[in-house]
Order: sequence, then structure tokens, then C-alpha cells
Amino acid sequence: MKLNCRIEKSASTAQLCQIRSEVRQACAKMNFAESEINLITLAIDEACTNIIRYAYCGDESGRIVLNIYQSENAAIFQLQDFAKCISPSCLELRQQNLSQPGGLGLHLIHQVMDKVELLPPENHEGNILELTKHLP
Amino acid sequence: MTFPQCTHLHYQCLQLNGEVDLHNSPQVRKQLLNILKKNQSVLVDFSELSYIDSSGIATLVEAFNIAKNKELTLTIVAASGAPLQVLELTHLDKVFTLVNSMADIKE
Repeated sequence: MKLNCRIEKSASTAQLCQIRSEVRQACAKMNFAESEINLITLAIDEACTNIIRYAYCGDESGRIVLNIYQSENAAIFQLQDFAKCISPSCLELRQQNLSQPGGLGLHLIHQVMDKVELLPPENHEGNILELTKHLP
Repeated sequence: MTFPQCTHLHYQCLQLNGEVDLHNSPQVRKQLLNILKKNQSVLVDFSELSYIDSSGIATLVEAFNIAKNKELTLTIVAASGAPLQVLELTHLDKVFTLVNSMADIKE
């Protein structure tokens, strides 16, 4: 598995635009079509948004690290935060009701990605969310 | 940052541009709710919008529901590219009224 790109930003909503731009560039290098790049970028953005909102609860001093790997047949996006560990059940899909707030981002992540998994964090610190998308 | 607004026929038009995400969707919400408070139907112009995330979508859903309760309308104009893909992915393209251009809006 080859590391294609590493992005490290503060957990600020002002950084989301820059993260999306770098994700788009990394996906283009892996030959994803424009429509796929749009959706992958959306999924990563939603994951970052959830970290900012729910893991760090708006504390902008937190860090977000995104490592983008390429294996033989997939793009692997490992998104790490250093907040309190969350339960894997937080990633389970609830019944989506658009008239109720919340949960839409997670729903979009699951729809776009082929695999969504919470990995055991290094040194039991924070969370690592791994999102996998098969290569075109 | 304030998004531009204009009047088109009896509608108030909110022109979204660039990218709408968690950083600026509260501003979109504020402007949409202000328009609806004045009991005006809304056109949300997507023609210069290149990206919208779930917080922006949730804001539109909230405004749509308020408009419906007040017997007003919320119409999305000229959605394409990534924003249209998000609407399709959430099946909201079947819920919202979508039109191709301002020319399709009638009194």
C-alpha cells in the first residue's frame, strides 16, 4: 500500500475548503472520473465535518490528519483525530429521516464509499476512520 | 460573507456561489429564514454553486419545510455538477422543485 498524500490541518471549518481541494487533486491522480471525484470529496468532507462537530465539539485546536493510500485495487482514506475514542456503533446507519436533523453526512459517506471502518488508534489515542473506494 | 439576493417576479432569489459547507451554511440558513419570515417565496440559484455539503442540504430541507407550512415555495434553479449529484444521492431532486433556469420561472 503506497502513501499518495498526507494532509494535516486544524479542526476548523475554515480548513474544509483546502482539504477538499487536496482530496480532489489526489483522486484525479488515481484516475477517478469527475463525477466519482465529486462524491469521494463529499464523503471525506462529511467525515471531516463530523470530526469537527462531534469529536472536537468545535475546539479548533484539535488536529485532523488524512493519509491517502493506493493499493492495487483501491483508494484508502485514513482520517485520524486525537479526540476522545468513539464507539464503532457511532458509525452505524440510522433510519434516515430528512425532516430530522443529523445523520445525513454519515448516510452520504456510506452511500459513496465501498467500505467504512473504524480502526484501533495508535497508542489508544483518538480515532482512525478508514474509508475505502475501489479504483476505476 | 453574505450571499447576493435579488428580486425576480414575486420571488426573492438567493444566489449561492462557490462552495457551501459547515463554514458558511449558517449564513445561508440566516438569509433563507429571513426571506421566509417576510412571507416571500424563494428561488435558490445554484448556477454559480460548485459544492454543497450535508449542512447546506439540511438547511435547504429546513427552509423547504417552513415554506411549505406557510404555503410558500422554495425552488432550486440551475443545479448541475456536484450539487446536483448530492441532491440525487439524497433523493431530494424528487422532493424539491428544480428548474433549469430563471427563464422557467413563471409568475
